[in-house]
Amino acid sequence: MFVTSAPLVSTKAVAKNFGSVVALRSVDLTVEPGEIHALLGANGAGKSTLVKILSGVHQPQSGEVAVQGRVVTLRSPGESRDAGLATVFQDPALIPDLTVEENLRLTSADQDLVVSWLERMEAGALDFAAQIRELPLPLLRLLDLARALAREPRLLLLDEITAALPADQAEHVFEVMQEWKAAGRSVLFITHRLGEVMRMCDRATVLRDGRNVAEFAPRDLGESGLVEAMLGEVVKQAVGVATDFEALERAPVVLEARDLRSREQVRGVSFRLRAGEVIGVVALEGQGQDRLFELLSGDRRPDGGEIVVNGENMAARSPYDAVRKGVVLVPSDRLQALLPQRSVRENLGAPLYNRIGRWFGLVADEEERVQSAVDRLSIDTRAAKQAIRLSGGNQQKVVVGRWLAAGFRVLLCFDPTRGIDVGTKQQIYRLLRELADDGAAVLLYTSELAEIPLVCDRVLVMYDGEFVAEQAAATATEEALLTAAHGLSKEEDVA
Amino acid sequence: MTTFEEAREGRGVDWRRIARRQGWTVGVWLLLLGTIVFYATLIPNFGDFQITSIAKNSLPLVYLAVAQAIIVIAGGIDLAVGAMLVLSNAVAARLMEGQPFAMTIVIAIGVIVFCALLNAGVGWVITVSKVPDIVVTLATLFIISGLALMVLPSPGGGTSEWFRALFTGSTTGSGSNFWPPLLMMAIPVAIAALFMRRTKTGLSLYATGSSPVAAYLSAINTARAKVVSYAIGGAYAALGGLSALAITGSGESRFSTGSNFTLRSVAAVVLGGVALTGGIGSVVGAAAAGIFLYTLSPVLSAMGVDPNTAQVIQGVLIVVVMMVAGIVQLRRERAE
Repeated sequence: MFVTSAPLVSTKAVAKNFGSVVALRSVDLTVEPGEIHALLGANGAGKSTLVKILSGVHQPQSGEVAVQGRVVTLRSPGESRDAGLATVFQDPALIPDLTVEENLRLTSADQDLVVSWLERMEAGALDFAAQIRELPLPLLRLLDLARALAREPRLLLLDEITAALPADQAEHVFEVMQEWKAAGRSVLFITHRLGEVMRMCDRATVLRDGRNVAEFAPRDLGESGLVEAMLGEVVKQAVGVATDFEALERAPVVLEARDLRSREQVRGVSFRLRAGEVIGVVALEGQGQDRLFELLSGDRRPDGGEIVVNGENMAARSPYDAVRKGVVLVPSDRLQALLPQRSVRENLGAPLYNRIGRWFGLVADEEERVQSAVDRLSIDTRAAKQAIRLSGGNQQKVVVGRWLAAGFRVLLCFDPTRGIDVGTKQQIYRLLRELADDGAAVLLYTSELAEIPLVCDRVLVMYDGEFVAEQAAATATEEALLTAAHGLSKEEDVA
Repeated sequence: MTTFEEAREGRGVDWRRIARRQGWTVGVWLLLLGTIVFYATLIPNFGDFQITSIAKNSLPLVYLAVAQAIIVIAGGIDLAVGAMLVLSNAVAARLMEGQPFAMTIVIAIGVIVFCALLNAGVGWVITVSKVPDIVVTLATLFIISGLALMVLPSPGGGTSEWFRALFTGSTTGSGSNFWPPLLMMAIPVAIAALFMRRTKTGLSLYATGSSPVAAYLSAINTARAKVVSYAIGGAYAALGGLSALAITGSGESRFSTGSNFTLRSVAAVVLGGVALTGGIGSVVGAAAAGIFLYTLSPVLSAMGVDPNTAQVIQGVLIVVVMMVAGIVQLRRERAE
């Protein structure tokens, strides 16, 4: 045996920010030849950014990337490929309007090799004359993977490859990974499924808050050790919401979901939301929470089940119907909800416009309603002429304020504090709590587990399209939530 | 279960898939065929002369439709293709006057290359500046139109007799030999169609228009694809200008001619089944729509419709066709 002097791929102090948002502070990663290396971290820890840097999509602001000890600059996906790296992204990089054959020809893939890899993974029949848009996502994942394998890269980067795969096909992918490793090549494996990490990976690097905070062999640590490593120092428990569950039991149910279904993404979701209650929803990325909120906000019709608002079936054909029933949405992308070029007042007044019988102006009480919303939210109105010039936090306040002015019964908040500074975050959570105390019902999806006990009464954990756990929010630890969100508690319950 | 090899070889002809993918293109050709048959029943002495007339007179719009289709498929739109046609027409008329046939061919090739390079520059400006295509080409519409007027301030110039025969089948520009115009139509359209679907560069244009992100992640140089689409568009627009010179025997560079042609090229592209959002459609469909849009005017005048009314009818037809197609597509999506 000889000792290789340089690792296969390594990064040194790689940093990246997008505008004022820091995605990576400083990451050192080392992948040795012939290993399966896991890249772990909670949502927003920087995994995807690191993968994109290694794929040549993003260029780091500082730090360096080295392949076999040689420092390289990866200015485009083509250069990353030429350096011997191949990435399979979460969204397959296939052209929807071209056929399978055309996609392979376009990227100069060896079609015979692709076919043999697909056969190896028992992908089932694939019609090469079919357009990509006609094919199901799991098959596209495998096709994208087979195309990457056919390039015979030194390092294969797999970003959530198993997320949309049925168990048996994931199994075949694992076999291929093992063979790949046995051939002396390496895999960088990004996944939320810790069970897979335990089984497959030789080593793991944990990212937290844009830094690498730990590196170890997963088998030595165990699943609970992995969760701890991802969370870091045990966060001191802030004072949670003191919920009077008995009083809440007596409050009327304002929003009820009965066995909601939508394709593969929402598979039988039921819950009851009462007046004055804030329910938190916790999930890792891609567990169906996006779709669930689309259904509840009337943006999409469910395939099965029903949504009941105040005892009436909602049957919304568009968000307009949902809003009329008092179910309103605060999305994470604030610009999606705002009229960015218009003033704060116009934004706040916007939902009132369609109650017009009046062509010449605002309803009599509109000025009042808008003013009271401004006061209540303590919106910094220095940049009030154009909503787009407000800070992210203030923009989000305007979005919430809109519904304050218009009136609502159920507030759906989808990750409302994404990319907002801590101070404003606190204000938004306080606001949500106040609204609930005034009798509103709030369903809050958040990617920040630490905030759950501060705002919510109950918390539901979503995994793979279903709610898998329910807890009182005040006593829910991050660790327990994260464990459930990784789909682990279910197995423990059975055991 | 079919094995991979079988699936790869194809399991016979899948007519439903062909109908779904090529349905629009076939539909446009049928619409065109129907219109011509209808035209034949309208005039008693329908024959070679009329066929030649339709073939040669629709040439400029067909070339321009192909040019616009290629640019739109790659995710852009060029408001200056018509102006480019006029510029090529003006330059060629100016240079070809009094020249022998061989020389006019050399000049024609030079003009095509010149227009391709000029439009490649336009594409380059768009990719570098990241200003939307529609804004940049609105500006180049004025620049190119102005250049054409500088080259040829008033109608004039000329070309060789055989150059006229090359596109029209007759040295005088008027005759009944339909083979030259038909071939001059079929060959460039076929070349464009094969280029777009058979070559890697052509596929990269579809990829760039279909999903710029996926194309970029697939290591495709999307900036290069855009420049290439504009360059080829420029070349086909130049071909349009040359055919117009052959038809009339002299050049003219009015601003309105160019902008008119541009608008009709967009209409042809849309009617031909090319999605303005990019990535979808074929140059063959756009070419058929180009012929169809030209053919409407002799048909309507044979019916005795006054030219102003004819314009309204043309517009209504476009809207109706698009509506029907839109409804068909919507129903198909619902069914899936």
